[in-house]
Amino acid sequence: MTDLTYDKLKANFPDAVLGKETFRDETTITVDAAQLLKVSKFLRDDPELRFNLLLDVYGVDRRDLGASPRFATSYELYSIPHNRRVRIEAPLADPAENGKKDTLPAIDSVTGVWGTANWLERETYDLMGIEFKGHPWLHRILLPQNWVGHPLRKDYPIGGEPVNFTADRDNPRFAHLGKQIMDTPTFHSELEDMDAEGHLVVNMGPQHPATHGVLRLAVELDGERVISCKPEVGYLHSGFEKTGESKRYEKFIPYCDRLDYVSTMSNNLAYVLAVEKLMDVDVPKHAQYARVILVELQRIASHMVWLGTHAMDVSGTIHALLMYAFYWREQILDIFEMVCGARMTTSYFSVGGLRWALPGAFEDSVRHFLKGFPEVIKDFETMLTDNPVWRTRLEGVGVLTAEQAIDLGVTGPLLRAAGTGFDLRKAQPYSSYDEFDFDIPTATEADSYARYKVRMAELWQSMRIIEQGLAKLGKGPHRTADRKVALPPREEISTSMEALIHHFKLVTEGYKPPVGRLYGIAENPKGILGFGIISDGTANPYRLRVRGPSFVNLQATDLMARQGLLSDIVTVVGSIDIVLGEVDR
Amino acid sequence: MGLDLNKEFSITPAAPQEKDGAMGFVMTNLSELVGWGRKYSLHPLLFGLACCAIEQISAGMSRFDIARFGAEVFRASPRQADLLIISGRVSNKMAPVVRRLYDQMLEPKWVIAMGDCASCGGPFSNYAIVQGVDKIIPVDVYVPGCPPRPEALFYAITRLQDKVQKFGIGERKG
Ligand code: SF4
Repeated sequence: MTDLTYDKLKANFPDAVLGKETFRDETTITVDAAQLLKVSKFLRDDPELRFNLLLDVYGVDRRDLGASPRFATSYELYSIPHNRRVRIEAPLADPAENGKKDTLPAIDSVTGVWGTANWLERETYDLMGIEFKGHPWLHRILLPQNWVGHPLRKDYPIGGEPVNFTADRDNPRFAHLGKQIMDTPTFHSELEDMDAEGHLVVNMGPQHPATHGVLRLAVELDGERVISCKPEVGYLHSGFEKTGESKRYEKFIPYCDRLDYVSTMSNNLAYVLAVEKLMDVDVPKHAQYARVILVELQRIASHMVWLGTHAMDVSGTIHALLMYAFYWREQILDIFEMVCGARMTTSYFSVGGLRWALPGAFEDSVRHFLKGFPEVIKDFETMLTDNPVWRTRLEGVGVLTAEQAIDLGVTGPLLRAAGTGFDLRKAQPYSSYDEFDFDIPTATEADSYARYKVRMAELWQSMRIIEQGLAKLGKGPHRTADRKVALPPREEISTSMEALIHHFKLVTEGYKPPVGRLYGIAENPKGILGFGIISDGTANPYRLRVRGPSFVNLQATDLMARQGLLSDIVTVVGSIDIVLGEVDR
Repeated sequence: MGLDLNKEFSITPAAPQEKDGAMGFVMTNLSELVGWGRKYSLHPLLFGLACCAIEQISAGMSRFDIARFGAEVFRASPRQADLLIISGRVSNKMAPVVRRLYDQMLEPKWVIAMGDCASCGGPFSNYAIVQGVDKIIPVDVYVPGCPPRPEALFYAITRLQDKVQKFGIGERKG
């Protein structure tokens, strides 16, 4: 399929295309960095290609891969009209090798082609130290402005300090406490270019009850009208990618829980799917259905958090709704707890299946939940759908058309509320979603109210999927028997030496995937979650990239809030449904 | 809350004192009264950081109901709060903000480090995360867990209440 892309590129830019690699059905086309811009425009505009959605931009430091030149930037493209993917890679020489110590490797910015590149390139600049020529505002985005160095480079240590469990500050042994902390300038420089016309600049956050965590917004106001609204993120930057590169594949699963911590199952699924594809293992059908059921339950739980907090943001008087929503989320958490012992940080999916078999009472508890929940949705709809406060505050607010959304890389319910029925569960089904019968709810108004309607409709669809999943579930192995990733069964270990050695090696060394790279995507409650993995054949990923849908979607805040009222910013942020753990990663 | 007045206000006979004009006896008992008042009216700051914050919210919802411990009124402004629950990982970028929030709170004030991240960095032993929030602010109670269940947070609050009870009237924390 993607050969068409390669052939067309080769025919149109014979000297720009440097090579092509295919691994696990994913194609990487290497392109001369100097001609990237031309190639990008062609990829987006050619009617046969139409790669209109830029999923991700990330840098790779190939120092230890033995590749030359040292750096490369990768672009993950998706063509919604043709349902096709391709990856473009542009190698970049490191000027430091030629003695130019303080010069960063540079490449043309593609912000003019895909708007979403703006933040993604800033992030690459921040963490990998690659400069993007022609970028409108190339500053650090996740780390403080005065940070030194680029953490994702291979010569940057992972850091962290040994921890002393004491608070005795007078003890001279602990004189070093606090040296890890760097100053941040209290006045963010992004504010400077905003108050030119005597407009008022209002700062919201990072501690603010309505920003859903540690988000900071710099809002430029003319009276009550919003002239512009710049989100400032990174207050929860936790170095997921760097940490992941220092862990074995299996050990990153618990970290996925902590990305978008209200949809842990979905994160787990996206990650294990990517690693399973890398290892080339099959998952038994029983486990696939169980995954689908749990992920859809998680979607409901995540939407409950969204609904409750959003309702509280919009009007404090609907505070009770938050209580109801959390009550019903608790019912789902109970099921999770029964399944894996944890309420939130589940880590229940493992590479090759489920970590343990489902408990006997699983099906009954899910059925019990399904029986009670429809009434609840109806209650919510009675309380909100025609509620005048709810409608006036959401209708016509925060409009984001499909065209704008795709340009900004926005996915998930936001995109579907703009009339595009794009959902990976249908477009590129994974985990047996193709065997399920469900609809993709869409709306056309593209405002906050439309997003509300889409998400409420998704609740019904999730319930449909869960019901079908229960019918299909049946009995069967919960893990693959493929010894590449699966431990030998207990009985065999006590009789077979080989099994014992294999068990020992898997536990102590982990499995080693073949050399290659891929980018796994899945439809999370908030949009497309992506995990990019580059394997160098060892038990740790060489490069682990995380695309958080919240991060990309949040970029649209500025566009959605403009010309609205200050008070609408809260509803706009609420209707995007962000989780800061995933925004800042 | 099952107040046992005799127990809560038991007047322990003071050791024989020299008459130096100090208000020892009166102040001790006033201090107990104030301590009792303070411990059942903690006002946490409405402030969440990461995953632990979601459990913190759950703790405030109907099922767990933090109101049973007199700590349900979350204040959005640090000026009105006396309990800072650090519910999540503190990044280097966030550290100065956390410190400022702490400084803005009125005396006397208390801090609970909720979860492994806030206590010691947790799973994030890397460049981005402060390895324990006690590097930037003093912590009264640490809660282990990733995330701790709401019950664990309640246990921390009751432990903190013991501490608050013993805290003198005129003492300062920061
Ligand atoms: S302790 Fe665990 S749950 Fe809490 S913030 Fe840290 S990673 Fe998240």
